Amino acid sequence: MSYTLRKALQGLLLILGVTFISFLLMVWFGPDQTYTLIGKNATPAQIQEVRQTLGYDRHFLARYADYLVELLTLDLGASTSSGEPVSGMLARTVPVTLALMLPGFVLGNLLGVTLGMAAARRRGQWSDRLISGLSVTGMSISFLIIIIAFQVLLCTPYGLDLFPVRGWQVTDLPSYLRYVAVPSFALIFVTLGYNTRFYRAVFVEESARDHIRTAHAFGASPAVVMWKHVLKNSMVPIITRIMFSIPLVIISGSLLIESYFGIPGVGKITFEAITNGDQPVLKAVVGLTAAAFVLIQLAADLLYRAVDPRVA
Amino acid sequence: MFLGLGLVLAACDDDSERGAGATGGAHGFSVYRHAMDGAPSSLDPAQASNIYANFLAVNLYDTLYRYKYLARPYQLEPNLADGMPQVSADGLIHTIRIKPGVHFVDDAAFPEGKGRAVRAEDFVYSIKRHFDPVARAQGAWLWQGRIVGLDTWKANGANYDEDVPGLRALDERTIQIQLISPFPQLTHTLAQGFAAVVPREAVDHYGAEFAVRPVGSGPYRLSSFDSARAVLIRNEKFRKEPFDLEAEGFDPASQSGLGLERLADRAPPFSDRIEVEFIAEDAARWNALIAGEVDFAKVPVSQFDSVLETRDPPTLKPHLAQRFNLAANLESGFVRTDFNMDDRRVGYHPDPDQDARNRALRCAIVKAFDWDRRNEIFYYGIGRVFPGIIPPVAPEFDPEQDDSPVRRDLDGALALLSAFGWNAGNLPVLEYGYTSSVTERQMFEQFRSFMADIGYPQDKIRSLTFATYGDYARAYLNREVMLATTAWTMDYPDAENTMQLFFGPNASPGSNTANYNNEEFNRLYRASATMQPSPLRTAMFRNMNRLVIDDCATISGISRTLILLWRREVAVLPDRSFVGGFFFRFADAGDVGATGSEAR
Repeated sequence: MSYTLRKALQGLLLILGVTFISFLLMVWFGPDQTYTLIGKNATPAQIQEVRQTLGYDRHFLARYADYLVELLTLDLGASTSSGEPVSGMLARTVPVTLALMLPGFVLGNLLGVTLGMAAARRRGQWSDRLISGLSVTGMSISFLIIIIAFQVLLCTPYGLDLFPVRGWQVTDLPSYLRYVAVPSFALIFVTLGYNTRFYRAVFVEESARDHIRTAHAFGASPAVVMWKHVLKNSMVPIITRIMFSIPLVIISGSLLIESYFGIPGVGKITFEAITNGDQPVLKAVVGLTAAAFVLIQLAADLLYRAVDPRVA
Repeated sequence: MFLGLGLVLAACDDDSERGAGATGGAHGFSVYRHAMDGAPSSLDPAQASNIYANFLAVNLYDTLYRYKYLARPYQLEPNLADGMPQVSADGLIHTIRIKPGVHFVDDAAFPEGKGRAVRAEDFVYSIKRHFDPVARAQGAWLWQGRIVGLDTWKANGANYDEDVPGLRALDERTIQIQLISPFPQLTHTLAQGFAAVVPREAVDHYGAEFAVRPVGSGPYRLSSFDSARAVLIRNEKFRKEPFDLEAEGFDPASQSGLGLERLADRAPPFSDRIEVEFIAEDAARWNALIAGEVDFAKVPVSQFDSVLETRDPPTLKPHLAQRFNLAANLESGFVRTDFNMDDRRVGYHPDPDQDARNRALRCAIVKAFDWDRRNEIFYYGIGRVFPGIIPPVAPEFDPEQDDSPVRRDLDGALALLSAFGWNAGNLPVLEYGYTSSVTERQMFEQFRSFMADIGYPQDKIRSLTFATYGDYARAYLNREVMLATTAWTMDYPDAENTMQLFFGPNASPGSNTANYNNEEFNRLYRASATMQPSPLRTAMFRNMNRLVIDDCATISGISRTLILLWRREVAVLPDRSFVGGFFFRFADAGDVGATGSEAR
């Protein structure tokens, strides 16, 4: 109980810190939306009117207090660009992003674990070098180039022309698979190198431990050693990596994919909010991401204890 | 597994109205798919300040007037109005009747969800909104100081129940506008998305959300809208007016072969559904066009080389010509780099001698600027370079004018610098502003290389970069940028719209971002502002153009050529300028669109 309370208090402080700093950055360094909302030949009085309607003339602390109240009540206000309620925008876009990113994220990690394991098991052999070399190659190519190359190769008459170039007219499972395939391939391609190298390093480190040598000495097969001992004892770093990737994958990782594949997800509206200075949307995304981090941290702590009894 | 399925269901596209317009004509279901290189954030006509918002606004709502679909030069045509305005002899009172039997689309904002008839009062309300600070409208500049009582109405608190003497609904169908002084461009302003007619009930019903819940009387109604696309479906209530090819300005010599003849005598809108894809990324837009997922796209400059067989006139490579039609449209505006005349280092100076030296410096910079290379490197050499501030698309443009102000003259520039005592040691630091991007950076570097040719030290030409356009606009509207490059898109085909860019009282934060203030120019502007288009007014505009050129207040300019491609099966003549989104109603995709993205 005290552990949970301590973690919750830490989480609360984290949320306060993140929201305060991000709000400070938004207000002092973020784009001023006034000048995109004024009409041509605006007078200083009209500029002031727009500033008032945006709330820019209010004291920073008063605005920050409102922000906290909005987060607490989940009344996130309305976008200053479109007027649409922010909660509605998030309800519409977050499921799209999750559905878009989940296959690539899951498969990317599963493949990363598998390849990392294979490389670790044959450390120093040609297959390890091949996997490591391909991983570095994958990491070296720009995500943008990968997206464009996949589009051209898989979606246009210049290539195989198998999938739509862009869009999200998802009405059922087959249409979902059609639209999610190429973005997922691109995501897997770009993340596989990072994942594989990370997991390989974890498995190599674990393989060098005494209990693994003991398991080998007891005659356990290489497969049993790898799956039962190495993988199980590597779960803490694996969980950490996966859990803490989730908020980033949802918010930032999807931006390029959503833009190039024309998918109306949360990454795109976040990017537009950043460039337009749409503070209600930004505040909501930042605040909810911080909250998601805290929840994930709590969940990760619980999972650590489940996979490793030594974690107190 | 369940989580995955749940996500798929939650993420499903909620655009379920595909069949809604299918009962229309004798033809099958047709879909026109249009790629746009940007996205609107609002569909409220009061906020239709950019081309993307305007495209959608004029399809979801009605404006009193529009431009004829095919006539060039552009000509106004009644739209919701029953005819052209009746104007009093003194030019001050405009009376406009609206067509009978026009209805808003059915919507929950109306009693029993039934769209009511459009009334003159709706137009009055729609214009008033621009003067209501709460509406955060952006079109007030069109009518500010023009209509009797409108500014006072705002000053008195913008109470919609109070009448504006100069903006009245005489009866259900008659609008009367009383001007403070003649305003020859009034009818043009009524063809803009800003002037579209909205029902008060819907604005009240939806509040701020009205921006994404359009309720209009235009040819289409909204099916879905998000950051990636907008889907419009035919408004079955839209008035049935047979399409008259001749009346729309059809020119067989230049427009035959586009399939437009098949539209004759049918009633627009011709497509049951319009899918507007917002694709800002050049590569993705091009891939979507090539893959047949959109019917129309503006070709990115980076693709011109692989698309065009010849430059003058622009023609398509044969393999593309089999699939696409091409329009090479000169933009209705221009790009220029203004000097901030308020900056004493390069602009006006109270000391007459220094003022003259500054003018010489500006003129030397203008002479050193190489427009041909700018055009070649950044616009594939097919932009149209012209001197001054009357772009080629304006009726007042003089094709015979002396083009020496845009021809590079290094000797002349060096002579000016020398004559006025400028040298590498005393030249001021030039601060060149731009929004951070690779292309803008390249333009800055090119500018610096041009100036190097007249001995301008590289370290005295500095970049002033801004993360977003909003930040850049804030800086130049606050007179903080010495050299500001901007593009101006004309609001109507009348050079008055570009003349006002250099009218002294319009100085920043107004549109006169050069903060140019020439008494003679101002006098001519005031005198011409109330004049109808005429040879005399054209001569005055050309004189004003000459003043700006002689004062070297701006490095200007170029009108970019837009390469528009669309599938040959679609009968349409796309236009991004004054006709703008009005052409959607005339786009006939036949039945081919029905087999488009859905069938892949």
